[in-house]
Formats: sequence, C-alpha cells, structure tokens
Amino acid sequence: MTVGIAPEAAAPAGMTGGRAPEGDMSVGARFAMQGVGKRFGSFDALADVSIAFHGGEVHCLLGENGAGKSTLCNMIFGVHRPSAGSMQLEGAAYAPDGPRDALEQGIAMVHQHFSLVNELTVVDNLLLGRTLGRVDRTAYAARMAELSELYGLALEPYRTVGDLSIGERQRVEIVKCLMLEPTLLILDEPTAVLLPDEIKALMETCSRVAAQGTAVVLVTHKLAEIKQVAHRVSVLRAGRIVTTSDNAADDIDRLVGAMIGRDALAEGEAIPGLSAAPRQSAKSRAAAQATGDLALMVDGVSFADATGAKRLDNVTLTVRPGEIVGIAGVEGNGQSELGAILAGLARPSAGRWFAGNSELTQASPKQITAAGVGIVPEDRHLVAAADDMTLAETILNNRMRLHARFGLIDRRSVTREAEGLIDRFDIRTAGSDVRFGSLSGGNQQKAVLARELTMPGLRFLLAAQPTRGLDVGAVAAVYGLIRDACTQGAGVLLISSELDEILAVADRVLVIYRGGIVNERPADPAHKEAIGAMMAGQKP
Amino acid sequence: MTARSLKMPGAHMSALIPLLAVLAAFAVGLLLIVATGASLGQALSAFSQGAFGSSYAISVSLNRATVYALVGIGFVLSARAGLTNVGGEGQIAMGGIAATAVALQPGIADLPLGLAVIIPVLAACLAGGLWGGLAGFLKVRAGTNEVISTLLLSFIAIWLVYWCVQSVDLLRQPMSSGTTLPESSTVPESTMLPLLTGSYASPVTVGVVIAVVLALVAAVVLSRSTFGFDLRFVGLNPVAAARAGIPVERMTILALFLAGALGGLAGAAMLLGEQHSLKTGFSSGYGFDGLVVGLLARGRISGVIAGALLFGFLRSGGITMEMAAGVPTALVQVVQGLIVVAIAGAAYWMDRRPG
Repeated sequence: MTVGIAPEAAAPAGMTGGRAPEGDMSVGARFAMQGVGKRFGSFDALADVSIAFHGGEVHCLLGENGAGKSTLCNMIFGVHRPSAGSMQLEGAAYAPDGPRDALEQGIAMVHQHFSLVNELTVVDNLLLGRTLGRVDRTAYAARMAELSELYGLALEPYRTVGDLSIGERQRVEIVKCLMLEPTLLILDEPTAVLLPDEIKALMETCSRVAAQGTAVVLVTHKLAEIKQVAHRVSVLRAGRIVTTSDNAADDIDRLVGAMIGRDALAEGEAIPGLSAAPRQSAKSRAAAQATGDLALMVDGVSFADATGAKRLDNVTLTVRPGEIVGIAGVEGNGQSELGAILAGLARPSAGRWFAGNSELTQASPKQITAAGVGIVPEDRHLVAAADDMTLAETILNNRMRLHARFGLIDRRSVTREAEGLIDRFDIRTAGSDVRFGSLSGGNQQKAVLARELTMPGLRFLLAAQPTRGLDVGAVAAVYGLIRDACTQGAGVLLISSELDEILAVADRVLVIYRGGIVNERPADPAHKEAIGAMMAGQKP
Repeated sequence: MTARSLKMPGAHMSALIPLLAVLAAFAVGLLLIVATGASLGQALSAFSQGAFGSSYAISVSLNRATVYALVGIGFVLSARAGLTNVGGEGQIAMGGIAATAVALQPGIADLPLGLAVIIPVLAACLAGGLWGGLAGFLKVRAGTNEVISTLLLSFIAIWLVYWCVQSVDLLRQPMSSGTTLPESSTVPESTMLPLLTGSYASPVTVGVVIAVVLALVAAVVLSRSTFGFDLRFVGLNPVAAARAGIPVERMTILALFLAGALGGLAGAAMLLGEQHSLKTGFSSGYGFDGLVVGLLARGRISGVIAGALLFGFLRSGGITMEMAAGVPTALVQVVQGLIVVAIAGAAYWMDRRPG
C-alpha cells in the first residue's frame, strides 16, 4: 500500500504520549485541524492529523522527505482539499476553495519554489496582481520599506529580481506575503536554498513576524533552526503527527528519534520487502571485494552552479569493487550535482574522478559508459529515458548501433535482446513495444537497471534514489539486482534520502550536508541516530 | 474499455481527417467564388485547366510540388529532432544564389558527365545547408531559438538575392545598355536541370524524381536507421539522449543543416529547372508554403508528399483561375489557409479526445 514506510508501525501509541495535540490545545488557536487525512489514489499522504497553530508562535514542522509536510501546508493553503477531518480558522470552520481564497482569509505561504517574475523590479513583483488601475509604485515602495524595517528584510525596491541573490528573492516572497498582513504565515522549507547567514537572518525575521502576533509555520529539516526559533515543534512521520514538543531545545534527541522512527523499527523491517532480498553474507562480499583498482575514486570534487553558489565542496570518496557505499543526506545537499557529474552531464569546477584506472573528470557520457560506469539517475524521466519511446528502445538506447548494419536497425535483433532482458529482469509488460511511459514506476526502474547493469565491463554503478515511488515488491527486486551487481564485482554508490534504506543495504555510510561529506559511519542501526542528526546539520 | 477504444483514432482516421478538412476548405472556397460574383462553372473549369488540363499544366504543378516536397521533407527531418525550421524561404534563396553563381562560373558549363548540373546543385545544397546549420550553431552556442533565427536568416537571404542581382560586381548581368534588368544572366543550357520528357511542351524536370527518391530515403532513415533513432531521441528528451551517448549538439546542427540543404536543393530546382536566371523575389513564398506542407504532414513523409501535390496543383490552378475567370488568385491562398486551420483544428481535436 504505502511506499517504503510503515505508517502503523511508525506511530506507536507510546510515542505521542501525553504530548499529543488534544482538543483543548486548539482552544484559542489561530488555526486548528482535527483528524485530517489526505489520500492520493491508494496512498495516504496524511492520516488523522490534529494540530493547532497559535498567534505569536513559531511552530516548526519536522519530518523526512515524503513525511507529508508539504501536503499538510498545501492543504492549509487551499491547494489540496482534505479527504477527512475538519479545519478551523479563528474558531470558525475553514474550507478554502483554493489559494486565492486562503489568501483572502489571511493565510499566506512562501513556497519552496519562488513565484517571482525575474525581469521585473522588486516593487513591480510586489504589486503584480494586487493593483487595479493606477500603479502607485511610490506607495508600494514606502510600504515595503516599512515592512523591511519592521522585520529586518533588507531590500532595494527598484532592483530587478533577476539580479538578486536567492536569499534576497526569498525576502521578496516574504514581503509579498506580509503585505497582505496574514494572520498565519507558512514557510515551506525556506532554508533549503540559503547560505548560513541568510538562514540566520530569516530566523530573526520569523521571530519578529511572530512577535507581531502572526502565527508562523516553519517547515524544516534543520535542527539548529528549530533550537533557535521554535516555540513548538511537531514531528511528522509517514503522514502522521508522531510527537509535539513545546521545548524544542531540550527535546532535540527525542525529536530526531521520532523523525527517523528510531524506536519502532529494526533494520529490514523499516522497508517492507527488503527482507525478501537476503542480505549478502559478509564472507561472499569480502570475496567479491577484489584487491585491484577502486571501482570509483572521487578526489576533491567541487561544483558551482550557474549563479556561482557552491553545490559540492571538496568531496572525496572511494568505492571498492563489491562494496555498497551509501550517501545519506536530506535532498538538495549536493546529491543531484554529484549524480550529474558521475553521469557526465556536468563537469566539476575542481577536483578529479576516476572509475577503475580511467580518469573521467572531463569525459563525455559515452566515454563514461565505455569505462564501465552505470547510472540509475534520481530522475529517470529526465535523464534515463524518453517516455514516448518503446520499452525495447529504452532498454537498448545506448547500444542501438550493436543492432544495426549499414546504419539500419535490425528490429528483430532489438526485440530479441530486449525480450531476453525483460525476462531476466522480470519486467512486467504486455510486450517490448509498449510505451516506456505507460509502465509502472517499478517496471520503469527495472528497465533502467536492465540497461545499466548489462553493459559489458560494468565496474561501478551509481544508484540515486533507486526505489523512490516504487511499491514494496519492486523495492525488493531493485535491491536484489543491485546486490547481484555487487557480487559480480561492481562497486555501488547508493544515494538516498531514506536513511532506513541506506542502513539496510549499504556497507558503510557517508553523510552529505551542504555539499560536503561530513562524516563516515558503518551501516549499523546503532549509528542511526547520529547519522540522522548529522543529516540535519549537527556537527559530527 | 470498448467505449474508449472506439474513440481512439486509428490509421484510417489519421488519413481521413485531413481529407475531410481539405474538402471542407474547398467547399468554403467555392462559396467564396460565388460571393465574388464570378461564374462558378467558369472558375472551376479554369482552375482544372490550370492545374491538370494539359501536360504543360501538370508539369508545372509537379515542379511546384517538388519544391514544396523538398522543403517539407527538411521540415519533418528537423522536427524529428524537436526543431522547427521556418527558414525554408531563405534556404531556397541561398540555394538559388549558389546555383546561379556556380553555374555562371567559366568552365562549369563545359564539364562532362552531367557535372555541369551536379556541381551547381551540390553548391546550392551546401549553401542552404550552411544557412540552416548556422541557425543550429546559434542554438547550440547561444541558445537562440531556431524559430527566430531561421526566420531572420530568411530575410537576410532574401535581401542577399536583391543585392546579388543589383550589383554588377556580383551576379547582375553585364550592363550592355541602359535597359539591363536587375537580374543575373541566364545560366548556360548545359547547367539546366534536364527535362524528363525532353520537350518544353511538358517541362517537368528530373527534380521530381530526385524529390521522390529523397522522400523514400528520408522515410527509411527516419523509421529504421540509427541516425533516425538518434534524431528522435534528441527530439523527445535531449538530456536522456546525451546520457545515452548521443552528441546532442552535433545532431542539432546536423538536423538543421539537412533541412537547409533540402531547401537549397529546392532553390536549385527552381532556378536551374524553371527560372534559369536569378531575379529579386525569386523564392516568392515557396519556402513558407513548404513549411506549411511540413507542418500539415504531422511528422510523416507520406503526408509531405500528399501536401506537396495538393499545394502544387492548387497554386497552378489558382493562377489560371485568375487569368481566365477573373477570380483573384489570393482566393487560393485563402483556401490554403483554411486547409491549415481545418487540419490543425482536427488534429487538436483528435489529440484531445482520447484523454
């Protein structure tokens, strides 16, 4: 039913204890919801959520990716409608028609992705859609200056948004919200993209906004921020509120435990289906770890994006043949950039990397493939396949030439090899000529693996979020395949934001935070808590 | 399930819909003829006389269709890579300039083995190809949208023709008297495209054969070759294509080069096959009509052929209709426009329904 997580197990009665948001908590609350659930198809994104936000407070929502934080925010903001339960604003029933309605009722939201027009000035962005008839820029600029002063949001009104830093753009978004004088302000992971001092300033702003009597909801992964500003913290796991604390600073350990589901889950059970693929014995694994070249060596690799922001900072890591190395981290800490570099779709701005004894720092995707590097990218629709091609074309998309004579493709030969791989990798399909995009996520992923694992001379496999969105059976199959590759001597780098998955599959774990590898731990459940804390930015 | 599969457009539907659209556009055209006050019978007989009333008329229509087909094939090729080449007009113009310039070079006319024709034709392909490839280069290097660049390059090419025929230092015929026209000298007979029949009574050129052969080649290349696969992959998902080892940038330039080369070839067919000397405005909208043919084909070479024939005969018929029955030839363009709108509308409707 659910994917990679077990909601029932994740919320044992003991965890919520006396701290569960009871009905009385919502008395006098600015906003409250009771028993709210949200179902997408057969997937419960949220189940039985009761929570209250009070004026003058910063209420942090903590949880892993996919725990339901964004769904919860979007529901309050009117993007989604609850499938069950009720919501109240200022004690009156609240059921917004959509974001516009939510805004009119005093609820504003700063999204992860900005909704600014880069070509316009700050002031023009502020008055966009909010003004009729005469455009009074001076009045807006004055009002903006007032808000900037009050909340510590330094901004120049007549600069073009496209020239602003990410932090400044976010300030524009916040000012845009504050202009409406909201009674509830939601910030959905506002710090994911910010630099340390920008984060500090934002936290200061949150406190000031709350001090003016507004209820502030802050979604975050980062413990430092919570300690700094939260009056109250609620932890979401697998769509449920598992705990709430009104003394965050003292409760950090307990909150981290609740976030990663520490007490409830033993290794293997954490990901239903994983137990179906028996873990390789240490002995056979040691045998597979040949003494020769490393499968992968990344040496001091850095990467700066188009705006000059450093996304990877001096990353050094090695993967030996026959070994699975996990990279644990909250999304957006440099994993995508590392994946793009290893796939040959981006070049490091510093450092070098090797597979076996071939240096691939400046290599093309073709050369990287030829050197025995397989890639299961985090976004298969963007990087691994074209949805409108057939399954057979997708499985063989990097080796069509092997099936061609004088430049003409021998369709029968293509079908023959594709059908062989479809059998071998247990891809459930009506045939090799169905549209790739029409397959289920699990079968799509198996098709990608079928291609990447059957390249001649495979020595290294990057598996980035390989089980995201897959059902239980497919998860087990995908890990079975990855382990087989390992047994045959390939080294594997597993990037995942699901810590349970990494602990269940990898041999050792590297923690990535803000583009740097901050620590290494054995993949032992005993280290889970420490890893979780480092993922959230705590120093090792 | 059954209810839904009934609505799915089958192969016969995808041929039927354009046909119905064409008939509907014709019907409106007939109404418009009546509205102009002309005699319907007279107009129609003039039209059919001009389109297929004589072997001369048919030849002229086929020569027009050749130009449309070449530009349309190029459009479909580049569209497979996700590129929209609207520069057919300019590529024709470049082809015409190159064909004229090379054909007028001393010595070319005396080459044996048909080289006197082949070399100017290849020069035209190269010139058109470079004009298209330039748009590809701009896209790869600077991210310039090829719709804009191919269109603007067309205007440049059209004015280059103007410059070439105005300046004696370029291609304008030698000034023998005060009445020299702003056009090039006539190309030597040996550089002209041979006529299939050998008689000016039915002046259909070998261009028709070349277009048919190229259409067959293009159809096979697109559906069966690794090159066609790579083109399609680049069009569907350039990032995944790059990951699979396809040189996306090179394919982008190459696709527009090929489209341009076919445009250049069309220019050579017009110049060496029919006009024989370069004049201002010599491309006269053929590139834009060819673009429409390519668009209407919806990615199929068979569609290009059908569209090219339709437009070729329409144009010839329309011109005679104006001369013989006093119905403005603009009416044919109105009908062409209606066909475009009707087919595009039908396609939109068909694509939406199954969802």
